[in-house]
Amino acid sequence: MGAAWKSEKRWVLSLTLVCLVLGGLLAVQVRTRELRGETQIGRQRSALVGMLTTSQAQLGKQTEEIERLRTRVAEYETEAASETGLLRLMTEELSNSRVALGLLAVKGPGVELELADSTMRGTDEFGAQELYVLHDFDLVQIANELRAAGAEAISLNGQRLIAGSAITCSARLIKVDDVAISSPFVFLAIGEKDNLMSALNIRDGVLDRLRVMEFQVKLTPKDDVIIPPVAIAPKYVYAQPVPREEQP
Amino acid sequence: MIALPLVALLVGFFIVYPFSPAIAPGWTDYLAIAVVAGFDALVGALRSRLEHRFDEAVFISGFFANMLVAALLAYFGDRIGVDLYLAVVVALGIRIFTNIGRVRALLVTARWEARRRNAPAASN
Repeated sequence: MGAAWKSEKRWVLSLTLVCLVLGGLLAVQVRTRELRGETQIGRQRSALVGMLTTSQAQLGKQTEEIERLRTRVAEYETEAASETGLLRLMTEELSNSRVALGLLAVKGPGVELELADSTMRGTDEFGAQELYVLHDFDLVQIANELRAAGAEAISLNGQRLIAGSAITCSARLIKVDDVAISSPFVFLAIGEKDNLMSALNIRDGVLDRLRVMEFQVKLTPKDDVIIPPVAIAPKYVYAQPVPREEQP
Repeated sequence: MIALPLVALLVGFFIVYPFSPAIAPGWTDYLAIAVVAGFDALVGALRSRLEHRFDEAVFISGFFANMLVAALLAYFGDRIGVDLYLAVVVALGIRIFTNIGRVRALLVTARWEARRRNAPAASN
């Protein structure tokens, strides 16, 4: 009777000891998961603050740009009073350069390409979901394909792509020239419709790859595509024109 | 008496929780698997107790060794790029499941036998 009682007591005691340790470990685990959740919220917040700062900076730049353009128009108007012929030539030249730089809205035949993330889902443990979302490099590849097919003007989610445009990814945001964009992604391109269509639809090309992964891809030819001007005009700070006689 | 381990579980939890210890995110998987291994040892102890072959030295050493080995195995798997983590989780999960089933069966039989033994006495 005494021995049985003793063994019973020891059993419960060893169980108690182990449970104490297990409870502590559980607490650490639960706490760590909670804290991780908190830092994620913090990260989101800082991303939002970053976006706000970027858009405020952009607003400032755009206001400057408008001011600059107004002054220039005023200058040309004063000149127009004296030299009408020269003005006509200059306006033409300016207009051409502006189209090339993407400073003017343009319209014409072309294609519209709408893209959204895949309907397939990966499991989070393996990070496979990364495979089913659109990345900056997918968009870069498409833009490159459009340019190669002779697109004269391209926009992505309302952002004009010009010679110096960059599509980047930072903090899980895709940005076109520092403007954050998100899915669905809509490319508009002006150019020879059939050329653009077949360049995008080329076998084993970028759209083929996306379709296999069940991304939502909608490519339609359009007779009248309107592409907006670039939001911020490019500035040339370092590059200076070289006089003809010094050119290599 | 049997409530003591349960109380200890809660006490252990609430002693540690307010200190808000957090380990590096990369290590949570190993801690999680260690906790599962510890739980497995606990259920195993219940079973062996009901089968009258409980030994506290085996239990306590097994508890700590199992946790360590489970975590090490998961860590090793991560280093060589094999999901040994899953193997450990599956193995432990199955064992916890069968052990709980066995504990339940033992408890039910014990109760049934006790009733059968008591029944004639009660009718007298």
